[in-house]
Parts: sequence; C-alpha cells; structure tokens
Amino acid sequence: MARLEVRNPVARAEERSIPPASRIPDLSGKRVGLYWNIKSGGDAALDRVEERLKERFPGITTSRHIGSVGFMMRHLTQEDAEKIARACDAVVGTTND
Amino acid sequence: MVELEKQGVPTVIFTAQAFYHDALQSAQTFGVKNLPLAIVPLPFSNQPPESIRKMVDDAFDQVIAGLTRAAGTPQPAPMLQDKTLGTITCGPMGCEVSPQDAFQIREERLVFEGEDLLDACAVMNREFLTYGWGDGFPLVPPTPRSVDAMLKGTRRPADEVIAVLEPGFGLATVEKIAANAVMAGCSPEQMPVLIAAVKCLAKPEINLRNKAMSTGPHAPMMLINGPLAKTLKINSGTCVLGPGAPSAVNTALGRALRLIMMNLGHTYPGVSDMDTIGSPTKYSLCMAENEGRSPWEPYHVGRGFSTDDSTVTVQFVYGICELYDFSNNTPERLVQVYATATKNVAQLSTGNWVLGRRSDPRYGTQEMEHNFMLICPEHAQVFSKAGWSRKDLQVAMYKAARMPFGTLMLNKEGKALDAAHPELKWLYDNPEVLVPVVEVSDCFEIAVVGGNAGRGAYFWGAGGPVTVAIED
Repeated sequence: MARLEVRNPVARAEERSIPPASRIPDLSGKRVGLYWNIKSGGDAALDRVEERLKERFPGITTSRHIGSVGFMMRHLTQEDAEKIARACDAVVGTTND
Repeated sequence: MVELEKQGVPTVIFTAQAFYHDALQSAQTFGVKNLPLAIVPLPFSNQPPESIRKMVDDAFDQVIAGLTRAAGTPQPAPMLQDKTLGTITCGPMGCEVSPQDAFQIREERLVFEGEDLLDACAVMNREFLTYGWGDGFPLVPPTPRSVDAMLKGTRRPADEVIAVLEPGFGLATVEKIAANAVMAGCSPEQMPVLIAAVKCLAKPEINLRNKAMSTGPHAPMMLINGPLAKTLKINSGTCVLGPGAPSAVNTALGRALRLIMMNLGHTYPGVSDMDTIGSPTKYSLCMAENEGRSPWEPYHVGRGFSTDDSTVTVQFVYGICELYDFSNNTPERLVQVYATATKNVAQLSTGNWVLGRRSDPRYGTQEMEHNFMLICPEHAQVFSKAGWSRKDLQVAMYKAARMPFGTLMLNKEGKALDAAHPELKWLYDNPEVLVPVVEVSDCFEIAVVGGNAGRGAYFWGAGGPVTVAIED
C-alpha cells in the first residue's frame, strides 16, 4: 500500500460574524421596504408581494427602493442602507439569481 | 441584505432554487448565518408576469416567516418539484454531498492511499474533484516536497498573506499560492508572476466578487509585459492562446490563477460561481505581448510602467471572436472590419454603459466595460505605417463601433437606464440613433499579440484591466 501526502490547497477564510436583526412578531401597521436590485422581473415580483402584504396585514405601508450605484444590477451604498433603515421596519428584496 | 441586517432591519430575499447554496454560503461568508430566503423555482428574469405572480404566491409564507420568525433559524434545504422540469436537487452534487462540506476539511496535510503511488494519486484526484478543488483536468499532487520547491521561486516567507480574496475572504498566503501552482503544473520561477496576479485580483478596482460570483462566464485574462516574459518563455506569438507546447507556460500560469480563484477565493461552480454555461477560457487564459513585433510602446508602458518593468495585467473577459482580415491594408478598412466584431448585443458588455457602471459600494469603485483587442503584428504594421498611434486606433474604433439604440436595448432593462442615465430617455423615441458600444475610446484596450498572418482576437470585457509589477 502506498501513501501520498499532500498539502491542503484551500485557504482559510477570515471569519466574519454579524448578529442578524431582530424579527418582528406582527407586520400589521409596519413599514415594509421593497428593494429591487434591477434584475428583470424583480419589480413584478414586488408588485405581487405588495398586493399580498396589504391584503393580509392591516395598516401596513410599503415603499420602493433601488440602489444608487451599479448597472444591470444595482447596489445599496452605506447611505442607501441607512436611509432605508430610517424609513422601514423590514425589507423584502429581489432577486438572488 | 446583509448591510440592512447590520442596520437592524430584518430582511428576506427571493432566491431562485439553483442559487440556494450560493445564497446561504454568501450570507455566511459576509457574516450572517442562515439569512432568511424565500425560495422560488426559477429566476424571475425571462418569466411571464403570471408565472412570477404564482411563484411569489407559492413562496409568500416564506416571506412572512423570514421577517417574523426568530433570526438565525436554519431553513431546511427545499426540494421543489415542478412538473415541467422534474425534481430539482439541492446543489451541484445533489443533496447527498453538501457543497459546504469541503470547507470543513481543515487538516493542512492530507493522505491518500493506493496500490502504488500512481494509484494514490488517482485517489487524490478523485477526492479533490469530489470536494470541488480541481478544474476537471488531472492535478499535480501538491506534496510537501513539491510545494517547498515551488516556494524557492520567491523570497517571500511561506506564511506571508499576499491578499484576502473574495468572495470567500480566503487568506492567500504564499504557501497556498504555491500549492495551487504545483497543482497547475507551474515551475518555481513562475511564482512571482502568480503573486503579482493575485495582487491584481485583490485590487478593489477589479471588483472580484462581481466577476467570481456571477451567472456570466468571466475569465481572468493575463497579459504579461516586460523582460520577464522572455525569460520565463511565456508565449507571445504563434498559437499564443494555446493549446500546445509553445504555450505550455501560458497554460500553467492561467490554470494556476483559476485554481487560486477557486481554492483561495472560494469561488466554486454551483456554490459561489453561478456561471450558467461556463467557458473554455475559464480554464486558462494567459499570454505575453509580442513586444518585439509591436510598432508601438509596450502595453504596460501606456499604463504608467517603464519598459524595464515586468508586469501582469489581469482583465476579466467574456467571449472571443477573431479579428480576421487577409484582404485590407489600410487602417480605415481594418477599423471597419474590426467594428463589426463589437456590435454583438447578445454579448452582455455591448452597450452596457447605458445602464451605468459596475460598482462596489464598499470601496466606491466604478468600472467602465473595457474590451480587449489583440491585434496581430501584420495589422499593427498597417496602422503604424499610416502614422496611427494606439490612441488613434482607439478613437477610430469608438467612432465606428456604434449601433442603433433600439437594437442596443433589445435585451436590457429599461429601468436601469432610467436610473443611471435619465438624460438618455429621449432615445426611446429615437431608436434609430447610433450609440457607441463603449463609454469612451479608452475602453478599447489594445495589445499586439500572435503570429504571422492577419488574424487577431477580440475579447468582450467585464470591467477594466488592472496592472501590477512583478517583483522578486
């Protein structure tokens, strides 16, 4: 039996850990942001999300957001994220593809 | 979404099934484990409105759960069934082997057994492929002896961290670079080239995360300039892009860079590299400029280096087509021919500037789309004899490489143009107006490459080039 010893070629990663935001028990009366990264079809998906949220949760309000930089995919800057955080209690986003 | 979670905002994002592992891995890498996802069978792009509505309806409970359920609760990997598509499995190797499992292999020394060493090598290759650590071709085993030999190609200490590579934030130490160089078939004297190439990948302006994680076939093209190209026998002439013996060094270097992106940057197909179709250029794409046959200053001199410097330029590229012309011997006619290569709307980068620029908000970088023209020596002489500089050719290409706005926009999201360039909205009413395919003339990069006869190559680019000096 022959043994071949090799070095592991995979790099260790820098560890990063951020606690996730607390969740909201009830979306009634809350402000929900609808974030679109400009990928095709995402806006149509958010239209439907908006309809369903308003059907289900009394007093819910929605706002639309896209990132201020990018091209066929738009991204949130730090300022964008802070602005959305001030305006929204929760965010639904599209699209991860 | 991670940025919003950092701001204290609970989020959930629609994610196409095929991107499930990619999404979870990305979120974990960026710091948020088990980021809530609302899984849908397909991406929303290319879907009719009624399909999008149905997908949203079917996933709506996941949306509510993502915003209201306790954060950090692992979601079971869904197995979605669609009558038209059949059963969709969870990851690239099915649900039996989690793509994340390979990241748990922490041992620095790995042992494989076989009937003899050749057999053990075959076992190693099979295992490495199962883990996703190889490119599909047989790997040279990174034995301690071969890695130590590779390390002699640089003065840098083995544990020096050259860069932190995205998307996985992998620590690219000299030793890990060496291990992947061995696997690719490189020689020790090529280490400085790879170290410089890794530095290119780590520059914020190359926006590596964007290229490494995309659905597009982004290949890192390497262009070597300076005296070291000759010393290391990096091919710049006949059959420069391979295959074959004349480009053996080119092949090994390009291959090593791909393995480095995978094993140090953690960009693995189906896990974080979501390229839908792949490309042969992703295996290896490396060349030297044919400086001896170029009538112009070397490419890297135009980028601020001296003739005596040796450099690596990395530019991510998409597809390739020829710049073929055996007939014409005037610059104007060559430009006319070249310009036809640029007007391919089915290639993503064509005219993409109208939608904005690639950007990384973390660093405030913005990239224009640059395309690379590898001009053959004969054609370069035609331009030079007519008194044309490289700049003259760039300007001529910018003027010639135009197409009707209506055609340019055939496959582009109009709302992206509205957001990036509202001043161009008048073009919707004037679709016949000719629009340049690139943002500025400098977006045509030009190098003289290849052998005799009038055939060069044109690469559609993704973002712009980055050039770094080769040291030690």
